[in-house]
Amino acid sequence: MFPHDGQSVARGLALKQVTAIARTTLVEAIQQPIAFLILLSAVVTTLLVPVFQFHRFGEDGRLARDSGLSCMLVFGLVLAAGAAGRTVSGEIARGTASAALGKPVRRVTFLLAKALGVLAVSAFFWLGVLSATLLAERGSAHFITHKDYSGYVTDVITLALSAAGVAAALLVAAARHYFGRRRFGVSAFVGVALSQMLVALVTGFYNRLGQLYPLHGEAACAGCGADHAHAAGWVFYHPELNLRVIPAALLVLCALAVFTALATALATRLSTGSTLAVCAGVLLLGLAGDSLLTGAPFWSGRGLAAGLLPDLQNFWLCDAVARGGRIAWRYVGEAALYALTCCAFFLGAGCLAFRERDLG
Amino acid sequence: MPESKRQPVIETRGLRKVFRDFWRRPTVEAVKGLDLTVNDGEVFGLLGPNGSGKSTTIKMLLGLLRPSAGVVRVLDAAPDDTRAKARIGYLPEVSHLHPFLTPRETLMYYASLFGMPRKEAVRRTHELLVMVDLEHAADRAVGGFSKGMARRVGLAQALVNAPGLLILDEPTSGLDPIGSREVKDLVCALAQGGVTVLMTSHLLADVEDVCDRVAILERGVLRAEGKIAELLRQPDAVRFEVEGLDEPDAAAVRAELEARTGRRVRQEYPAMSLERYFLQVVARDGQQRAFAMAPFLGAAPADTNS
Repeated sequence: MFPHDGQSVARGLALKQVTAIARTTLVEAIQQPIAFLILLSAVVTTLLVPVFQFHRFGEDGRLARDSGLSCMLVFGLVLAAGAAGRTVSGEIARGTASAALGKPVRRVTFLLAKALGVLAVSAFFWLGVLSATLLAERGSAHFITHKDYSGYVTDVITLALSAAGVAAALLVAAARHYFGRRRFGVSAFVGVALSQMLVALVTGFYNRLGQLYPLHGEAACAGCGADHAHAAGWVFYHPELNLRVIPAALLVLCALAVFTALATALATRLSTGSTLAVCAGVLLLGLAGDSLLTGAPFWSGRGLAAGLLPDLQNFWLCDAVARGGRIAWRYVGEAALYALTCCAFFLGAGCLAFRERDLG
Repeated sequence: MPESKRQPVIETRGLRKVFRDFWRRPTVEAVKGLDLTVNDGEVFGLLGPNGSGKSTTIKMLLGLLRPSAGVVRVLDAAPDDTRAKARIGYLPEVSHLHPFLTPRETLMYYASLFGMPRKEAVRRTHELLVMVDLEHAADRAVGGFSKGMARRVGLAQALVNAPGLLILDEPTSGLDPIGSREVKDLVCALAQGGVTVLMTSHLLADVEDVCDRVAILERGVLRAEGKIAELLRQPDAVRFEVEGLDEPDAAAVRAELEARTGRRVRQEYPAMSLERYFLQVVARDGQQRAFAMAPFLGAAPADTNS
């Protein structure tokens, strides 16, 4: 059934295999209740920050943003490392890896496909939490100067819509499970992420005071933080989301990719629990490495550790977005390249470890 | 095909497998210098008690375990050669299935691992679901299946690529007598179509029913190998079977034989096997089903170049 000879056919086959394994990994990972709970926790925590802010110093938006990005990193790491550990070491233990590798699938293809599947889970999680972060920042109290009102305004409508989106996603997932026998975990995971993206789009139809567009001139602007060029004419759609968060969030996604690769590599030899423990250690050292390991000679223990550990400070730049700051896209590109190098290193080591692994 | 012209499909020479612990210390030697040859078109049975090294041997043939020493050739290639694996169907000892996938999704998944075009995969999946009598449960997650149903899905996935070499590890494990009979019929049908089959089983009657040759392993060592008829033949005993012989005639024949040979003659009334009786009873009640094997009867071995 190996259809033809030739490299192009072999590449086509490998691509089909990668797609099939990655898709199965994605479904397997998100249908686990823990994946949905992690996403739900991250989204709800992010959305609750603007509600439970008691100390305002004009930085409510920043607090919401930082909390959202922190949730994205911490919950995302748990999700990525847990999913990679479960899907690789779990499949080896359950024997489904043997069943797949009993087919014409190379071990390298299998492992890379697994990593891609987990990365897809992380990306979906990232989209959901990024949307929730943008909504939380918009919803948090902002000082606005409007023709009708000046002062701190909490965008209750946006926060309520976000919460309603989560509730609606759960109801839809339950209905799909009851009537259509669809997997609740998958529907809920996808639904929660999509609901936040949808609400983020919907926010473009009203301003922070809850006035529906189209509005004209000063009536439209309610402290959106933009350059107010639109104040001269009609505004039909204006999401008022702080899109400067996106580069900072992309850097977090890079960190998640690095941890996905690390966890996938570790899981070829370690159990899920051990994989999570090592990832937690790398996270702590990676964040502290900047201060602990910098300046040590390369051929010392500290120097080697600094060389081998991913420097996670490169991926945590939320302070750069504060007070109207921007992260240069060039920096994001360089960080992505660094993340790609780390991923290649970890996955290469993982492939070597998996090549000689006995699959019982 | 004459015995001498048959090409070896599986060959092992001096095959050894030593399992090691985390510190690379040897824990157990599961296979000790195994020499084995399975020829094209044969149904070969690998027998042995628990822990004799049957499954370990199979996993080395598939490249899932690395041999500690020795040579393995499968379809004239190394065990981890993907071109050779494309012609192999493998049913593991336990049907390792993704519990959240349905049988249809499972078969589509495995078909895609062979690079099968979607249209062909859909057709093949349907045929296999009909064959293993799981069409009614095709869209239920296999996690809720009984062991026998999961076994049927496992069997279907082993046949998804129309293999030229079929490796079955305990294929009848977990199946009811009817399912077990159907699997054996399927193996015979595939063998008639030219498929080489290597199977292991604890159920010796199963092996006896379908295998041409067997090898018996014990603690990783090959104890016996050969054609079943030759291994089981008792050269110093002769059996006659006569239908409808009444008691006085039977006694007379027996007396005559004893008088001529000077040896004791044993008189028996042969009984059918319990399996055959069970199948007759179930068939009488109209419940017997059969694998819809039509698409697989006479199936040619998978062609690497077509």
